[in-house]
Amino acid sequence: MDYIDPHIHMVSRTTDDYETLARMGCVAMSEPAFWAGFDRGSVESFRDYFRQLTEFEPKRAAQFGIKHYTWLCINAKEAENVSLSREVIAMIPEFLEASNVLGIGEIGLNKNTKNESTIFLEHVDLAARFNQQILIHTPHLEDKYQGTKMILDMLVSDARIERSRVLVDHVEEHTIQEVLDRGFWAGMTLYPITKCTPARAADMIERFGTERLMANSAGDWGPSKPTAIPDLIMELKRRGHSRDLIRKIVYENPCEFFSQSKNFKAPIAAP
Amino acid sequence: MSQDPKPPARNAEKVLSEEFFIARSKILDLAATLDRLERADGSLEALHQLKLLEQGMEILLDDQSDKAKRVQLLMSRPYDPDWRKNYGLH
Repeated sequence: MDYIDPHIHMVSRTTDDYETLARMGCVAMSEPAFWAGFDRGSVESFRDYFRQLTEFEPKRAAQFGIKHYTWLCINAKEAENVSLSREVIAMIPEFLEASNVLGIGEIGLNKNTKNESTIFLEHVDLAARFNQQILIHTPHLEDKYQGTKMILDMLVSDARIERSRVLVDHVEEHTIQEVLDRGFWAGMTLYPITKCTPARAADMIERFGTERLMANSAGDWGPSKPTAIPDLIMELKRRGHSRDLIRKIVYENPCEFFSQSKNFKAPIAAP
Repeated sequence: MSQDPKPPARNAEKVLSEEFFIARSKILDLAATLDRLERADGSLEALHQLKLLEQGMEILLDDQSDKAKRVQLLMSRPYDPDWRKNYGLH
């Protein structure tokens, strides 16, 4: 089945991974800017990273017939450096006209600190001023519940933000309902140990339905599985779910959400 | 876009038979972890993480629903609705 991975960090993956993903049915992907595994030292590091995301990765993906989209920001881990974060936020508009940019992301919180919150609000302001969609990172493990609620507080306090243009990622059993009830899109991340398994994602689909809900691999440089979406497809098939239901989660919903960005063109997928 | 497709109804006996060996394996992993802790040096009585695991296991055995969500909340830091005021962010 053809599918879209709405959140994957291909700068951390090999060209062989692109080939494997294409063979497994991946027709498009979106890559939010994230942490490199170490804190970068200057705004020029981010300028180079954004060139990689907007120039190099789309070409690497295209070799395998995959359409590559991206989101730009300085991530929450590096937001503790407020002055660098502000330099990066000021530079981001240079890249907003690139043909594969869908919006601002993945912005969010990590340890739910004051500095992270300050920089989150400044990213939200940037998105509002440039009419960009937003992709949200919610914190891990014991920080997720508190951080997700803080993020939702900040988003709903800005009247310029259209909730239907915001995707809140890494939802789990204790955060999904509030994200959906408040009118945002929700993404379940299929990630070993620290996030959600395909079986638990299938449970959440069965409990909360398929409206405004997607699944992603968040494949990156850590323990992760870039082919996790086909695992979810297999789990849903095993439980007897219809092809229509599965296709809505892994293809139609990402298309519907991303289509709110002028740069997104739905890939031609097998029915 | 298509209408929201309905999930199929699943028979409890079938779900249990499909999931039994997976759940059995996870219980054994947990049991072996507790055995490993018991064999290790030092006292565990005051350890917060161990208490969380014990409270999580109590949730598994009680007669209430929403177990996954309740275990998640058990393992979560509390949310303070006044956080923004406390941070001086308006």
